[in-house]
Amino acid sequence: MNVIQNAPGTAPAVKTPATITEGADFSTSGFQAKLELEPQLVEMKRALRDGYFKQYRTSPEVDLLAECEVEQLSWPRRAARLIRRMCEAQQVVIRPEERIVFTRTVEKVPPIYSESQQRSLTAGRAFHELGPISNICADWEMVLSQGLWSRRKVALATRGRLRHDPVAVEFLDCAVETIDAVVDLARRYADEASRNQRHDLAKILYRVPAQPANTFHEALQALRLCHAALWLGGHYHCGLGRFDQYMWPYLKTDLELGRIDVNGAEQLLAEFFLSLNKDSDLYPGIQQGDNGQSLMLGGVKRDGSNGVNELTHMVLRVARGVAMIDPKINLRVTKDTSLDLLELAAELTQMGLGFPQYSNDDVVIPGLVAHGYELADARDYSVAACWEFLIPGRGMEVVNLGAVSMPAAVDVAIRSGLAAGDSFDEILVRVSTNLRSQVARLAERSARLLLPPAPYYSVLMGGCLERGGDLSQGLKYNNFGIHGACSSNAADALAAVKTLVFEEQSVSSQSLLAALITNFEQAEALRRKLFDEAPKVGNDDARADGLLAKLFDLFADACESIPATGRGGIFRPGSGSAMFYVWLAQGHEAMTEPVVGATADGRKSGGYFSSSLAPSPGVRVRGPFSVLKSYSRINYQRICNGGPLTLEVSDTVFRNPEAVHQVALLIRLFAAVGCQQLQLNTLNVDSLKDAQVHPERHKNLVVRVWGWSGYFCELDEAFQNQIIGRHIYGEPSKCGLL
Amino acid sequence: MLTSVVFDIKEFAVHDGPGLRVTVFLKGCPLRCSWCHNPEGQLPEPQLLHGSAGERLAGVAFSSQALADRLNSLADMLRVGEGGVTFSGGEPLAQADFVAEVIERLAGIHVLLDTSGYADESSFRKVAAKSQLVYFDLKLIDPAAHWEHTGADNQPILRNLRVLNELGIPFVIRVPLVPGVTDTDANLSAIARTVVEMPGLQRIDLLPYNQAAGAKYAACGLVYRPTFDDSRESKVNLAFFRSAGLKVRIV
Repeated sequence: MNVIQNAPGTAPAVKTPATITEGADFSTSGFQAKLELEPQLVEMKRALRDGYFKQYRTSPEVDLLAECEVEQLSWPRRAARLIRRMCEAQQVVIRPEERIVFTRTVEKVPPIYSESQQRSLTAGRAFHELGPISNICADWEMVLSQGLWSRRKVALATRGRLRHDPVAVEFLDCAVETIDAVVDLARRYADEASRNQRHDLAKILYRVPAQPANTFHEALQALRLCHAALWLGGHYHCGLGRFDQYMWPYLKTDLELGRIDVNGAEQLLAEFFLSLNKDSDLYPGIQQGDNGQSLMLGGVKRDGSNGVNELTHMVLRVARGVAMIDPKINLRVTKDTSLDLLELAAELTQMGLGFPQYSNDDVVIPGLVAHGYELADARDYSVAACWEFLIPGRGMEVVNLGAVSMPAAVDVAIRSGLAAGDSFDEILVRVSTNLRSQVARLAERSARLLLPPAPYYSVLMGGCLERGGDLSQGLKYNNFGIHGACSSNAADALAAVKTLVFEEQSVSSQSLLAALITNFEQAEALRRKLFDEAPKVGNDDARADGLLAKLFDLFADACESIPATGRGGIFRPGSGSAMFYVWLAQGHEAMTEPVVGATADGRKSGGYFSSSLAPSPGVRVRGPFSVLKSYSRINYQRICNGGPLTLEVSDTVFRNPEAVHQVALLIRLFAAVGCQQLQLNTLNVDSLKDAQVHPERHKNLVVRVWGWSGYFCELDEAFQNQIIGRHIYGEPSKCGLL
Repeated sequence: MLTSVVFDIKEFAVHDGPGLRVTVFLKGCPLRCSWCHNPEGQLPEPQLLHGSAGERLAGVAFSSQALADRLNSLADMLRVGEGGVTFSGGEPLAQADFVAEVIERLAGIHVLLDTSGYADESSFRKVAAKSQLVYFDLKLIDPAAHWEHTGADNQPILRNLRVLNELGIPFVIRVPLVPGVTDTDANLSAIARTVVEMPGLQRIDLLPYNQAAGAKYAACGLVYRPTFDDSRESKVNLAFFRSAGLKVRIV
């Protein structure tokens, strides 16, 4: 065992901790107003931003292929062996100041099959993204309250019951192997803590995650280990679920018994949040930061009663004090959520980290019920990596199967329809046909989908060990989610054609077609007319908003026309864009969705789309109230995969002493008008532009990219530019427009 | 029905009053404050602005009913947002009859009048009486200095301030802190003395000078000619207000 006890090398250079200034003090529920990180946590944060923890990644690469071949291991056994070898290869790292431990020392997750073996294994089938199961959420409540040892007992009991079923026996043996691997890792940490006279820490690590957690500290440590072990097995976008629900009982007991005080709990929570940033650069994603360490706060409990508790408030406060990109915070609200809580959330929004993201229980829960979710489960919803609604512990859903390119569906319909002399209604029929064929292609892909065995993840899910079946075979909910990407430009294109070509007849079909084909070369006047004069989504204008709603209805029709997924689920339509706001415009090797050229809304070829639900880039928009009204027209009862309305507010808004209250009211307004999900971001475009020129001055500048936040200077330029081009509200000097 | 020219309608105008508000900027102003940061609001007619992003017509004529309809479409949202409508400008009282007519047509929306106070008394009374809150600018107490920097007499302003106080409508005094002009000890103490006995006064907002005030002049075909050294920072002195027992804040 190679133990790293003292900080090797030189101390990390001291850098300015953040570009963001803290907001005003305030207090709630008798808890302290603002978290000041303890000095060792401030130091830990600096070390994290300086990549200090990377120095521990000295473990030799794990090579599994040879032993898998020699032993002729099956796929499930290879998956279990991977967890075991990765846990074994981990070196124990306990820094003197750490109270919540685990630092990854093995950099790479090795393959369990050679490339040629994998090709034959997947012949005729296809993995989702990288392969390993991702973008779901474990039943952390169960894991922490029962402990892995009790899960092991369940596995052995089922094994006894199903001893004549070789598949079940193998699965359960694999599950037990992974439990033992994770518990062994904890024990090695405990031994080392004990050797270092860290007896409190040792006591915790001898207990959890094997035994049920007794204290808040134990629960956080157990979660850290069990969660990090998922990544060791190649899983990614591993969600944290309803953190304030499953963690609160531990904290509540500690506070009641006087085992911890509020400040102590907050410092511990801060350390847990910091620990989520130790290894996250190793986690796969489209861009750095896209790692799905998302957690959910608030909302109702499974019985419908209010689930907001002191920990809900505490998480918001601590996330503000920590001010790093992980974990990503989500908050469930309704129009009746207390302004105290919303103001606390608004103060986090003010930090410019791009979270919390808000979802509206009044819309989401009935929407899930309408899609076949049991009411108690629907009330228990959380989000996947970005915004897709799922039920922790009960869903083996692929929430991001792919996207329909709404701009392409509309563009194909407009070009072919105008050329054929269609009426506008006939063009809409073409849109519908195109959407159906895009959904059908995704459905066909889903039928070939191959979900690999995931014995360790199965341990963390309700029901797998009980019935002796791997997670990959399915859980209670097995739906597929499809993004309805870049809808605003698509609706604007339809609105331009309907208004200018058919109603006003001020633009001819021929001139529009010619302009689209030539990317508006020598047709700048026409382009400006389409861009400036046609109705646009975001202005509470029924001519555009009606077509937006229509597009989503057609998309829902297309999803509902496919009766089954082949995995006992349905196709859930959503309104997110993810990275498609760049990809659909510019193409990408990893995508199969159709790209578009110039579009009838006056957008030139290559121009970015907006993020999820937001007005088309650059168009005139009345302001956030009208934007909320426009997007409230979508029938979210049919569009339940998620995908947030995205509003950027200027950081100058917060110069106003009442701004936190006003932003809280804006969040309430979002819920009151019946929108589904909201991403409220704080931006300063000048600093973004300066960061492109002087990245060294803006190392800690955080932005919301789509369903996640990242460091601006670590993004590709295309994503940086898309963000700079967004609509920003609330700047005093900048006129909105009539 | 009256018609007037509006140069902007801004949603989520967080600096223009409590709660979630929409601000209507009426075009045309009788003052020519040398620090004006909304020069497109000075002339009453629509005008073409030549900005870096191309030309744009600032100013659209609205009938009082059309403007009321537009605002009423937001009424439910403004109620949820504990806010309302703010009439600003330019100088909204330059179109007092129009503003009064719009307010009469509003569906129970909270109204805030944001005014320089420069208007004849009947215009002032007409609109102020229909407002639930007034933001009242007080720039310079010295008449000669007021003439010099705004091109107008301050007597109507001081009279309307007394009228406002008599009307019993709550109000906020807004003082732009223009370096060397309005931020002097003499002026700030005079302002404090002027308002100290007024029961309707809720607080005083001090607005430090914005270095970007001149940004929009070129687009309006104007040259920014401040009557003061605009490279200086505003002096923010709360002492006169605090010692008079007045609530004051910097915004």
